[in-house]
Amino acid sequence: MLCYGTVSDLPEYSTRMHPVIIVENTFRTAIALLIILFISTKSLDMPIIAAIVATALILLLLFYYRQWRLTFIHFGKTDIVVERKTLFKLKKTLPYSRIASINLNRGILNRLSGTSKLMININSGYNAIVPEASLTFERHLADRIRDNVSDYIYRDEASPLEESTSTIHFTLTDVIFHGLFSVPTQQSIIGGFFFIYSIIQQYYSTVSDLETNSGTAVISMFLFFIFLAVPAIRHMIYYYGFKVHRHGETIYLEHGLIRTYKTSFKISRVNAITIKTTLFSRLLGRSCIEAEVVGIASSDSGGNTRPLISLLANDRISQQLLQELVPEFVYERQGEKQPIGAKNVLIIRGLIASAILISIMIYPSILAYNSFASNSDGLSTIFQYMLPITTSLVLIGIAYSTHISLKVRELDIGKELFTFVNGLLDREIVIMNYDKVQMIHVNRGPISRQFNVAKGKIFMLSSTGTNSISSGLFSETSLERIGDIIMERSARTLGRYT
Amino acid sequence: MSGNTVDNVRSAETYRRLNKKCMLSMYINNAITYIILSIILLLIFKLITLSDELSVQSIIPLILVSMILLLIYFIIGPWIYYERYRYMITSDKIDVRYGIIILRHILVPIERVHQVQVSRGPVNNLLGLANVNVTTAGGVATISYLEVDEAEKIVERLTDLINAMLRDSE
Repeated sequence: MLCYGTVSDLPEYSTRMHPVIIVENTFRTAIALLIILFISTKSLDMPIIAAIVATALILLLLFYYRQWRLTFIHFGKTDIVVERKTLFKLKKTLPYSRIASINLNRGILNRLSGTSKLMININSGYNAIVPEASLTFERHLADRIRDNVSDYIYRDEASPLEESTSTIHFTLTDVIFHGLFSVPTQQSIIGGFFFIYSIIQQYYSTVSDLETNSGTAVISMFLFFIFLAVPAIRHMIYYYGFKVHRHGETIYLEHGLIRTYKTSFKISRVNAITIKTTLFSRLLGRSCIEAEVVGIASSDSGGNTRPLISLLANDRISQQLLQELVPEFVYERQGEKQPIGAKNVLIIRGLIASAILISIMIYPSILAYNSFASNSDGLSTIFQYMLPITTSLVLIGIAYSTHISLKVRELDIGKELFTFVNGLLDREIVIMNYDKVQMIHVNRGPISRQFNVAKGKIFMLSSTGTNSISSGLFSETSLERIGDIIMERSARTLGRYT
Repeated sequence: MSGNTVDNVRSAETYRRLNKKCMLSMYINNAITYIILSIILLLIFKLITLSDELSVQSIIPLILVSMILLLIYFIIGPWIYYERYRYMITSDKIDVRYGIIILRHILVPIERVHQVQVSRGPVNNLLGLANVNVTTAGGVATISYLEVDEAEKIVERLTDLINAMLRDSE
């Protein structure tokens, strides 16, 4: 029915979505209603609750059936029109020329019903997290619509959507590694602490036969799951079967275990590339690559709107992937370390923070010491010295962060691109395109002014609306140079925002 | 600032300063904020004095010192802000330098501007001042405490520049 080459060749065609949308919407609303019902009607008898639930379900089904019957999607020559003729009328026009991306998602219900969900995103900073239209069709129809609209968006390129080739083959082990080691370091440390603590408590409860220890062990295990296990497993499910390849000017991604995601975007939509490492991934010599792309939002992606173009991979492979997937963001970097002035600023800041911390903690530490001094049991001795020990650990943390901040942060101002290197435990190398910068702030605090250093903040359009990336402390002249280059490029009309 | 300001802005690509009235606006705003804060703190003091706990009462001197420091900041701040505030609008960029404790330099290429609007709060309205908010896809930059006439002329000028750039790009 929809066998067409380019969008301009499309026959004018109106259709409804697949009826499974009625079930999906009813199910989603019913769950929310059930929760409210069970919270608010504890006093009601079970038969009454069952009657209310059944009536609500029938009403919801009728409501969503009517909404489905009166909602039409019209594929025109120049645009897609979504029109709802219910009480709350809606007419949404999505011109093909404004579509930034059209992606496919398949959840469990979609798989069972042989359907796919088309997520259409427009080039817009507003409403950036939610797609402009989410349309459910039979799988083959959704594939064809996507192919045809993609043909228009990524003009002059043969659509390789059916291909399943990947620039690099990520194995299941890679996905598991990524899940485990891409969780932020602080979160991993806290999760690991609760895991070890839980095991110790479990051991003591077994040895001493005390039930209180067992309760603590369960809570600690629960916290371990919240901080580490759940995010890691979520990553593994989300990135299962990860495939990435570039065809012409378009990058294609495919991944997902329970819900599958097929995403594509033009290279011109990439505003910045970030090479990310956590402490543990660095120890393993692995890094992942993230792209800041505007207009690929998917409300079902679990909030992850910045696509990864490489999972945690060997640093050499990451570099190779950068070359193959985004050579536009590869250049010879000669990072400039923070100047000596920055060292002074960071040391003074560290000393001030330490002085404030000590002055705040000294009184409670003395109080705690005196209150627990009278008891001689082991736990009291621990509490007696707990605050001074914690304060000392934080002071060591401040000293360490000052040292690392000096060592890590870099700035590189290239001809076409510029780079900020940031991060203490989790590090980021952010490579940015001058032509995508919207605004620059160069800030100098009272201490920074004394040592002639400043901090830069780059504002860009991002997948979540707007985003700012901060630099370390560098000379004002170096940071102002970024603005000068942007203006020079703009004057040469090279910098027209695309 | 005089009526021919915008013409001056057009011709001379130099930094411009604000009208001294901006200090009055800031002083009024600061006074209102300080009065509201003082009332809240008086209520907190009342509650603290009812408490017999020494540790709770010991924070009173800390609050008093903070209020004195804030008062000094509110008195000196507007003057420093006025002295430091500079802005420049050329044919290709908006450049603003300001700050009391932290000095900021904001640069917005006009090519990236999506929307320009004039906004006026009640105090600024009373004094005939307005802010110009410049919206880009990456955030908003504000040129504050301009005279209404000048703010509107700047908006007009920026709109003209943006339209001219759009025409050029077509």
